[in-house]
Amino acid sequence: MAHTENFRKVAEVGDIPLGEGEGFDVGGIEIAVFNTGDEYYAISNRCSHQHAPLCKAGERKINAEDTWTDERGGVDTEACTVSCPWHLWEWDLETGEHEASGQRIGTFDCTVEDGDILVRI
Amino acid sequence: MESSIKRIRGVAEAPEQAFDDEIVDLDFHVNPLEDELLAYVEDDRALDKLTTEFGATPVMGKWDAAYGIKEGQEGLFTQGRAKYAEDVREACAPLAIDEPIVNPGINNLNLQHHPVLKNAVCQAANDYMLDHFVDEGVYTAMMVPKWDPDYAVSEIDRLADEDGIVAGYSWFDPKVPWGNEQFDPVFEALVKHDLPLLLHGSLAYWPQHSYIGDDMLTWTEVLGFDWPIHAMVTVVNMIMRGVFDKYPDLSVVIQEGGHWWVPFLRYRMDEFYEMHPEDIQITPRKMESGERYLGRLPSEYLRDNVYFCTQPFALPRNAGEAENLLDLSLADEMFLYSSDWPHQTLDPPTWFYTSRAFDEETRKRILSENAKEILTI
Ligand code: FES
Repeated sequence: MAHTENFRKVAEVGDIPLGEGEGFDVGGIEIAVFNTGDEYYAISNRCSHQHAPLCKAGERKINAEDTWTDERGGVDTEACTVSCPWHLWEWDLETGEHEASGQRIGTFDCTVEDGDILVRI
Repeated sequence: MESSIKRIRGVAEAPEQAFDDEIVDLDFHVNPLEDELLAYVEDDRALDKLTTEFGATPVMGKWDAAYGIKEGQEGLFTQGRAKYAEDVREACAPLAIDEPIVNPGINNLNLQHHPVLKNAVCQAANDYMLDHFVDEGVYTAMMVPKWDPDYAVSEIDRLADEDGIVAGYSWFDPKVPWGNEQFDPVFEALVKHDLPLLLHGSLAYWPQHSYIGDDMLTWTEVLGFDWPIHAMVTVVNMIMRGVFDKYPDLSVVIQEGGHWWVPFLRYRMDEFYEMHPEDIQITPRKMESGERYLGRLPSEYLRDNVYFCTQPFALPRNAGEAENLLDLSLADEMFLYSSDWPHQTLDPPTWFYTSRAFDEETRKRILSENAKEILTI
């Protein structure tokens, strides 16, 4: 189909659980793909603050049961954001923007076709 | 085509080169569970009071990081909670940290009211650290109870000979500054056992109940500026009051008190001292020794006796500016890498690889060599 030209398959539906993300190296470019339930979003895997890998957002903490929240950063499916696992900067998955600093990181078109998650770099 | 797409898995969260380098982390907080900590309290009367409904450390700071972030309380445990040695190892692996120097992160203890209860928690914390970290081969900074110098000395004497105890851990705070002569026995004990004194900030306990403190309404002011101002006052107080003339072998490490103020102090202390040196002779240590002036310029003690942990680094993004600041701060002699795990202000060692401001030598000194010079590891 014409509209998926230049898109490349990174994973299959079901590979990335709801509210989580997965990192991919696509020809040397690191991206993270997040599943918000309604959509998949592809965004640069490196937070512009100190280069944390965003794909680790939502990872379970060490001894999470003894802390106040279970995860390091994570996806907010309603707000359509991901907060970074290191310092919790919150990135808009659609625009790649961090509102407080005004910084922006790359976002990539992402679509699903025939059960495949496709990304255009 | 498909072959150039790879899943990013595995544990690395630091640049590849970091895993080849040796990295010592001067500020790694562990957080025992309260029950497990209190099980180490030796005095039954103290234990009885510490297990009331108010808990072991009931007094809160006036303002908290929780107000400054969306996730609220999460800030203190952003990365998780290390209770035992294996937790520390698990946390350090992806960050390329080889030697974490752990401390019992009970940072609000100093603010509490009752000296007997505080001593009981301190004793318990040190024994917990012995069991769970020192005996497990993790280097540990023992707690030094600033509020009770006699007890501090007896704790240092009790524990300092353990191989894994490599530093004393205490606080710069709004109370009696460390230049005061009451701390001489503590300095003596630290020097005798060859332990540096790590001084950390804590909560918004300072400055409380003052006009300035009461009008600090944001965590940026509290963490970003009230800590450094007090760290600065602590360092200058120690230097001008002759601590390092009396204890030339004492090393003091400022943790989370800022570090970019080093150039400010270097030039300002010398300028002011050279112009107004006549009150030095009536400071108590000089009254006792009969010396009229400091033995050296204030900036020289700063350079030789004081060290600064780098976290939160706040490195200028412009590499040229960063390099200038590092030079002026004598970073290659005075800076020590610290992560502050597990707090929200965590600094993995990424800065040292992503900024062009560091040459190989400076990076090495900050990441490990300076630390190894003052710690016996
Ligand atoms: S590295 Fe992402 S918030 Fe700091």
